[in-house]
Amino acid sequence: MKKRGRGMACMYYPLGFTSYPNPSAAFAKYNPDGSATVLTGAQDIGQGSGTVLAQIAADTLGIPYDRISLIYGDTQAVPMDAGSVASRVTYIAGNAVKKACEQAKSILLDVAADMLGVLPHGLDVADGWVYLKDFPEKRVAIADVAKTAEVGRGRPAQGHGTYNPATTLLDKETGHGKPYEAFVYAAQVAEVEVDTETGEVEVLKIYAVHDCGKAINPMMVEGQIEGGIAMGIGYGLTENLVIEKGHVLNPQLANYIVPTALDVPPIESAIVEIPEPKGPFGAKGIGEPSLLPTAPAILNAIYDAVGVRIRDLPATPEKILAELEKLEKEKAK
Amino acid sequence: MTEASTHHIRFTLNGSEVSADVKANDTLLNVLREQLGYTGTKRGCETGECGACTVLVDGKAVNACLILAPKVDGRAIQTIEGLAKGAELHPLQKAFIEEGALQCGFCGPGMLMSAKALLDEIPNPTEDQVRRGISGNICRCTGYAKIVKAIMKASRQMARVGGEGA
Repeated sequence: MKKRGRGMACMYYPLGFTSYPNPSAAFAKYNPDGSATVLTGAQDIGQGSGTVLAQIAADTLGIPYDRISLIYGDTQAVPMDAGSVASRVTYIAGNAVKKACEQAKSILLDVAADMLGVLPHGLDVADGWVYLKDFPEKRVAIADVAKTAEVGRGRPAQGHGTYNPATTLLDKETGHGKPYEAFVYAAQVAEVEVDTETGEVEVLKIYAVHDCGKAINPMMVEGQIEGGIAMGIGYGLTENLVIEKGHVLNPQLANYIVPTALDVPPIESAIVEIPEPKGPFGAKGIGEPSLLPTAPAILNAIYDAVGVRIRDLPATPEKILAELEKLEKEKAK
Repeated sequence: MTEASTHHIRFTLNGSEVSADVKANDTLLNVLREQLGYTGTKRGCETGECGACTVLVDGKAVNACLILAPKVDGRAIQTIEGLAKGAELHPLQKAFIEEGALQCGFCGPGMLMSAKALLDEIPNPTEDQVRRGISGNICRCTGYAKIVKAIMKASRQMARVGGEGA
């Protein structure tokens, strides 16, 4: 018989570890043609950090996104970065890029103030222009200011930035302290159907609600959530690395089962934007947190459907059948 | 027979005639990538499990790692390089970009070729048919949601363009 159930799981996840140094660095410069070049050590591995960092740079520098040339991937040329790990890139590398851009912008505004005969703090940048905040019609093109800064004043509008959340060692006696700078929160609900004859579980639907701070690129946040859920389904139901005497016994995709498009159900996700004061534009992160609640939500849904608790991942049909059998025997007593 | 170890084969690759001298045990994947320089077709598991090397042989999606090169003599091969018409991207490619269907992108070429084979056969697929159509292509990072959405979108757009043409 096929029985349906619904389960939920919540999580919190820390970003920006502080128990040891965790730096990102960046460099930014306005170019005389009105474009900008930004160097970052953060590597895009498909999560879209290049897009997000370019968006942060574009907004801070006041020039269109497509005029940002973001350079990464060459360790001989780019500044240092602690790595595309720990869901830290938007938060840490994003802050470094923002600081580098802010420094470049402050030189640009100094020179523009001089050109316009006003004070720099009355100026701001947007859409390729430096403009007077109280009188936006008074403006000068960023390209002209960048050119004047370089050629006329000998002060290129460029900057560098490093972000490293304050390192705070944990108490050696108690292990207490503040090991991270920010936290994200999420809840997911899984709907499953369990076949009581075969022990097979079909995930019918996943609902996911994630706080990631300000979502700088909502479509990519969604993509990260959906990808994490697929990994969570594999973690919960099929993926099991079998190691015996140092040998991996299932090193192929035919015996290490990664979910296919047929195993991942429709996903309904929602983003909750709780701005983080220390994050770039209020952003935190989303990478790893997306997969955490999926497996426990599925296990809770299995319990809701057939009344057995699986405590050893993955929840394979064999384990579910064994538990169902135990349940039957207990009932018969 | 020593001469049997090498075969001279001719086939059409993305519409152009090509020829190659291949060993009897060469895979189509090897010939495409190593001899002809078509590296858009990805080398994944090389055992027919991941779908990254999917190409079309006479319009049918196959794993290029599993088909021996001499077998494609006289046949028509389509790879990801032939999907766009010059600078004009195929509706599937456009939809993949618009919907954010690629993250690391490694499964992309194979995924797109499977999607093309599907839409050639079923122009207006249901979501379930789309999922079935790409179930031989493993993606580790998108969760498939945006890939499925992109293929559905491309099918609608192609139907519209086709309708206007008719």
